[in-house]
Amino acid sequence: MRRTDELAVGAETTAVLAPPASGHPTGVEDPPPREPPRFWPFLLVAAAVLPGTALFLVGQGVSRAALQAWQTVCLAVIVQATPFLLLGTALSGAINAFVPERVFTRLLPKRPALAVPVAGVAGVVLPGCECASVPVANSLIGRGVTPAAAFAFLLSAPAINPVVLTATAIAFPGAPLMVLARLLASLVTAAVMGWLWLWLGREEWLRPAVRHTGHQQGHNRWTEFRRGFQHDFLQAGGFLVVGAMAAATFNVAVPRSVLDTFSGSPWLSVLFLAALAVILAVCSEADAFVASSLTGFSPTARLTFMVVGPMVDLKLIALQAGTFGRAFAARFSTATTVVAVLCSVLVGGVLL
Amino acid sequence: MRRPLQVTLLVLSGLGLLHASLFTDLCLRYVKPGMRPLLILSGFVLLVLGIVEAAVREGGKGHGRHGGPAHGAGPHSESEHHHGHDHSAVPRIAWLLLLPALSLLFYAPPALGAYTAARQPAKVIAEQDGFDPLPKTSPLPLTLTDFTTRVQQDRSLAIKARTVQMSGLVTPVPGGGSWDLTRIIISCCAADAQSVKVRIYSDSIPPANTWVSVTGNWHPGGKLGTKSAPVALDAQTVKKIQRPSNGYQDALPFPSG
Repeated sequence: MRRTDELAVGAETTAVLAPPASGHPTGVEDPPPREPPRFWPFLLVAAAVLPGTALFLVGQGVSRAALQAWQTVCLAVIVQATPFLLLGTALSGAINAFVPERVFTRLLPKRPALAVPVAGVAGVVLPGCECASVPVANSLIGRGVTPAAAFAFLLSAPAINPVVLTATAIAFPGAPLMVLARLLASLVTAAVMGWLWLWLGREEWLRPAVRHTGHQQGHNRWTEFRRGFQHDFLQAGGFLVVGAMAAATFNVAVPRSVLDTFSGSPWLSVLFLAALAVILAVCSEADAFVASSLTGFSPTARLTFMVVGPMVDLKLIALQAGTFGRAFAARFSTATTVVAVLCSVLVGGVLL
Repeated sequence: MRRPLQVTLLVLSGLGLLHASLFTDLCLRYVKPGMRPLLILSGFVLLVLGIVEAAVREGGKGHGRHGGPAHGAGPHSESEHHHGHDHSAVPRIAWLLLLPALSLLFYAPPALGAYTAARQPAKVIAEQDGFDPLPKTSPLPLTLTDFTTRVQQDRSLAIKARTVQMSGLVTPVPGGGSWDLTRIIISCCAADAQSVKVRIYSDSIPPANTWVSVTGNWHPGGKLGTKSAPVALDAQTVKKIQRPSNGYQDALPFPSG
């Protein structure tokens, strides 16, 4: 019910955004879905902060240096991600206010199963890292793009755009196959996840995207753009802070040397670089340089690091939870991790 | 969340970013110098968003009652506000943005240092194929990475009996008698920091996190030019220096030493 509302971005939901006369019934229905977010972000914050604090207390006592390192890493993730988050939320605001819905229905194939790979390949055009793609995917869904296609775009865009592929080529000089493997593995993962959503996905996992209702008659497009941009940035920014805290906690509490002990076994090393990608939350434009410096690991394991990193990491999970709801984020991130690891191992096994 | 608070959040975030990137070097503690233009731009965008939001609110108060949609923005957003629709309200989690904004403005945590380096194994140095002859200057300025490759990979043993000069920060080593000269290198932001280390043997151990310039000779052991050779230096002089503004790179020591 909620979803039909959301997808029928026509006259009905328009009233939800900003009805000049507030008598419309849809406005009354809405408080229930907004109820859970009241307290759960704080639980998330606690989940992000408490384990680390506990670990410190038990492990070595809270040293000042550890706390400072935590603050530095946390702030670094936020500072690094902010410009890309702004780019993403600005794009999402612009799509919402300026792009008519028919553009997407014309560009994408009618059949969702075909729209998925097309949307995945379309990820090439978004030159940013993963923070930018979450709000954009959200506004695409709001504009009537089938969620499966929007998710394929969400997953592929940060991994296969020219900036990231160029960085990969620079980070792995003399190994063009690594660039190809990254492109293929990321595209396949994105497409598989899109189809998986078509097959198993349930729309009630998604929180309705009330914001993205498109341009309204009689409203100033620039004001709509500005307010959408601002709303999305403030919301996503809050979740970015949560994700950065979680990433910093793991980053400081679990020293790299613990993970490095697993570099010996080929299977464990793949899994551990996947875990490292989730924990480090490195931005996709730079993860190739991190991967190339992990010289103790096999090429396939490093490929896994670069495929999983842009699709699943702690700050991304927080962003997705904030944008699409946590029911979605938990299932989607888990499935994506599994699919991404499998695709990387397959593609890496063939190409590298 | 009420709109004055949104204005506050946007303006503070914008000011925080501008403070860290435009007015000071603080951002170099967290990200690479290449990010700086993007951060300055982001700071301005956020500041402008906040100011426009505040200005529109003022305007809305002026015209709101008369309800004329002539000026576009003000009346609409004002009515939206008054009717109490939660959809345009920002969830409370946005409050968390205050933390990084205030932190950047008033208490910027220091760059990563000895604590991080001590808990990491040294970065694995890539194999290098050919080695050029070393310049004749003495002491010879080297980066920590260069020194490591010379010691562990250069079969011509060019580093033997040379006095070299390197700079970095001090990481204490448990046990005493020696310490690690360290450079922390980042690929993207401080979350992916890795460190290069050279073990230094000297009479006195400088306090942790001090930046020093060290001259000395290779500390013999193992077989030079192979992995068995220790990446270590017998120090002749250890001099305190200023922290370079961009500390997250493996650079040559300052010319003056």
